[in-house]
Amino acid sequence: MKKIKTQVFHNLKKEKGSYLSFGIIILFTAFMLNLALVLTLQVDKAYDAKFETLHAANINVCIPKEQNTDQLTEKIKALNGVKEVESKEAILAEAVVKEFRDADFDMRTIFYNMDAIKNINQLEIKEESEQAEKQTIYLPLYVSSFGGFQLKDEITYEVEGEAYTFSVSGVVEEMQYGNYGKGLMGAYLPEEVYKEFAKEKEKNIVVEYSLIIQDDIDVNEVENELGSLLSDQGIMTLSNCDNQSTKDTRTMVCNLLILILAAFAMVILLVSVFLCKFRIQNSIEEEMVNMGVLKAIGYTGNMIVGSMVLPYVIVTAVTALVGILASYGILPLLSQVLTVQSGFSFVLSFDLISLIFVEVLLIFIVIIFTYGAAKSIKRVQPINAIRGNGEAKSIKKNHLPLEQTAGNTQVLLMLKQMLVCGRQNVLLFLVSFVLTILVAFASTLFYNVIVEPDNFMSTLSEEMPQVIYYSEEEHQESLQDALQAETKVENVLQYTVGNLKIDDTAVTTFACEDFSQVSNDLCYLGENPKTKNQVALGSAFEATYQLGDTIEIENGDISCNYEITGFVQSVNYQGNVCELTIEGYKELASEGVAKSLYVYLEEGEEAEAFMEEFEKNHSDMIAKSLNAQETQKNSQEMFSGITMVLISIIFILTMLIVLFILYIVIKSLIVQRKQELGIYKAMGYSNWQLMIQMTGSFLPVSFTAVLLSSVLALVYMPGINQLIFQTVGAMKNNMEVSFTFLIIFAVIQIVMNLGISICLTMPIKKISAYTLIKE
Amino acid sequence: MKTEKEIMISARNLKKCFNMGDEKQTIFENLNLDIYKGDFTIIMGSSGAGKSTLMYSLSGMDRPTEGNIAFAGKEITKCNDDQLAVFRRKNCGFVFQQIYLLEKMSLMDNVLTAGALCNNDKKAVVKRAKELFELVNIPEITQKKFSTQVSGGEAQRAGIVRAAINNPEVIFADEPTGALNSNNSEAVLNVFTKLHKEGQSIIMVTHDKKTALRGNRLLYVKDGQVFGECNLESYNGKDKEREKKLDNFLAEMGW
Repeated sequence: MKKIKTQVFHNLKKEKGSYLSFGIIILFTAFMLNLALVLTLQVDKAYDAKFETLHAANINVCIPKEQNTDQLTEKIKALNGVKEVESKEAILAEAVVKEFRDADFDMRTIFYNMDAIKNINQLEIKEESEQAEKQTIYLPLYVSSFGGFQLKDEITYEVEGEAYTFSVSGVVEEMQYGNYGKGLMGAYLPEEVYKEFAKEKEKNIVVEYSLIIQDDIDVNEVENELGSLLSDQGIMTLSNCDNQSTKDTRTMVCNLLILILAAFAMVILLVSVFLCKFRIQNSIEEEMVNMGVLKAIGYTGNMIVGSMVLPYVIVTAVTALVGILASYGILPLLSQVLTVQSGFSFVLSFDLISLIFVEVLLIFIVIIFTYGAAKSIKRVQPINAIRGNGEAKSIKKNHLPLEQTAGNTQVLLMLKQMLVCGRQNVLLFLVSFVLTILVAFASTLFYNVIVEPDNFMSTLSEEMPQVIYYSEEEHQESLQDALQAETKVENVLQYTVGNLKIDDTAVTTFACEDFSQVSNDLCYLGENPKTKNQVALGSAFEATYQLGDTIEIENGDISCNYEITGFVQSVNYQGNVCELTIEGYKELASEGVAKSLYVYLEEGEEAEAFMEEFEKNHSDMIAKSLNAQETQKNSQEMFSGITMVLISIIFILTMLIVLFILYIVIKSLIVQRKQELGIYKAMGYSNWQLMIQMTGSFLPVSFTAVLLSSVLALVYMPGINQLIFQTVGAMKNNMEVSFTFLIIFAVIQIVMNLGISICLTMPIKKISAYTLIKE
Repeated sequence: MKTEKEIMISARNLKKCFNMGDEKQTIFENLNLDIYKGDFTIIMGSSGAGKSTLMYSLSGMDRPTEGNIAFAGKEITKCNDDQLAVFRRKNCGFVFQQIYLLEKMSLMDNVLTAGALCNNDKKAVVKRAKELFELVNIPEITQKKFSTQVSGGEAQRAGIVRAAINNPEVIFADEPTGALNSNNSEAVLNVFTKLHKEGQSIIMVTHDKKTALRGNRLLYVKDGQVFGECNLESYNGKDKEREKKLDNFLAEMGW
């Protein structure tokens, strides 16, 4: 090392611009890798730690109060693996939160008596108002931060048509529900407020059993046993959730982000290793004579290879460290964003393991690639190196002889230039190709989230009407007719969401009069149910059942058998859903079927205006209404925001990578072709002609790569999207790849490449023809 | 005789300095010079006298630190880089000691690359290139080879063809035989003589007496000035009297 120190520093000094560009690319890689790794290592741990701290239950199950017995606690305690059991009363209601992000949000809510929470499922108070107010409520972090409710704000829950307004007195963190992914949210009332509320909602009082399971016991097994126990006792399960599925739901966006960050980091890493390989191969050509001299005076092949590899290792080590440390600057912001979505707060701290892993990984990969590129120098004999024999060998063919090839000479010169630069072409092709895939991904996201948001929303959500009307059974038919008669209405469907039980597991049930008319077909395998004896199951059951099997579905004491016709997806319920026809659902819950009508408006119609107009004349038939368009708009806004940030990051990164890669390629070319450029200048070629010639020589390669990558993206992007969205449970992907947008983004990329290239070739101007020849 | 000639390049009060670290090295100062159309001008001088620097300044390849250079009455010292490039492509041809052909192209492509700058009629450029290749005695098969695949003499003759392809007002040659053996040197010099006889103006830098004999006007550069000038009849093979005149001149200059 000591012996080659001078050479290493000479190399670093000589090509500082190139090393800096390489270093910046490594910095980006380390930055993203560290973000992904810290999130992977710490979010999970933070979640589990909070789970432990708040002594959260592994299983929470709600049953009707009237079905609860004194002996039930003992029986549950006696189940194999149950460590602790606690029961408490709560109020379970199908509520609508008013002004949740300025819209009505249909939110099944369980209201707790805060003072009854003792040992299991404790709360962590994040914020609390000092002034005592009447009718106070403590909101979960998700409702407060995502819904936009601050301390002392008023929040109104509409339960069964009646509005209950509370003053926000605090914000709490809990590990039971967290976000609305599980379709149930908590709300916490001080004892007095709870008691008053309970008086009015006596019908809705439930008993919640919270179970803590021994570490070595499978939670699902206990869950099944508990299900069997309750079913044997004839007790109806009103809600049921386990800690793992809750965790999966709450960390979904975080996991998606980790996936995207890691994929990005890998793409950039790929680009940077090709880049250092390119630079080393060029350096070997440029420095062949010097290397020959070094060999002649006694330097060994390994020492010379070392002097080429070490600068890259040093640059990688330093810039990766800077990138890792820089990532800690963005981590607080990232954890803030994720907190809103996941509903639990966490502090991401410095992680030594992540630092070491990223550093070692990057250095290892860089060593492998640089050594691979540099080792060829070991075989070159000193005298051959001094004579510069390597260079002439590369010229094998006079591509496009000007005398015989038709066409403009300037264009032919560009093409000739391109054809003699094989290595540069390979690098440019790979970089353009890989980056176009990223850009194609960005364009697909842009198209599906911003331009055609229904594609994205329908992938992540369930049925999406614009308005939902609830009515008493006797009004339902006439309400449906009245709605259908409206010119602004395209379609009206009887559609109900309820809860049933399959294999002792609570499943959310979507019941519809005709699934062929729904706007969001959730079925990804087989068919939707058409008759009352058919069912389509959620993806959670795909491993256990097959199409054509018969399955028993329960609702309290009643059970019926259905034939499985298909499988449906449900991101929000982790696949624990089923689809039945209204008739099929009535077999199990003749009384309990909610009378809801899903209204689909003509394109361009505003739900709010329609509801106002319609309700003027038909209010007598309507029990409750919901502006679903507004709710979707809110979710859409959140995803649009995240998408725009992601697209901007992709574009900025793409531009920076292109900038640094082209900087290195063009700088190398200018250095390599200095004499050649001097000759051209001596002949009378202007700076502009030479700049265009050099830039133009990149164009066909990057254009071909962008085009090919775009075509491949058109074919394979749906598959890639499918894979990505499958990780969050979206088995059926409605995302489309827009050819037009793909082309627009590809053209932007090509123009960007061209513009950057022209700017980077400007240094040609600064050198006089005479200096070029002399150098 | 001399006064009847048309001045092609006129240099006044030329000064050229180079920065050598912290020090400034003056190559020439207050240098005045006229170059005449149709002359085969030889610039001689000892090593480091600034011969090449002077020639490249006159050709617009480099800029003098001070002073004016007019080419056919047009001041070129005021031109920007691109204007100089256009000036060079229209008026100048260059032949270098190290030849400097584009290594990744055949000899023919090297010539056509220069020819394409002034003439969009490719056929006409190819025809002219073939005539010049014939003049310098390079057969068609060699025209298709790379400069690394031919002899130094052939490459240099191709360099002359490239310099002459646009019928420039003047060809600047910087020690064109410096890297060649005697046979190749002779062949290259014969080409220059042929071109001169056809009326081509040539300015050549050399420190070789045999090469200098090919010119009809010799300028000796010393101490940053044109120290002396010698006018000869045009070269016409071996001429002892002409040789003696040159010897005397060089001896007078301290050669």
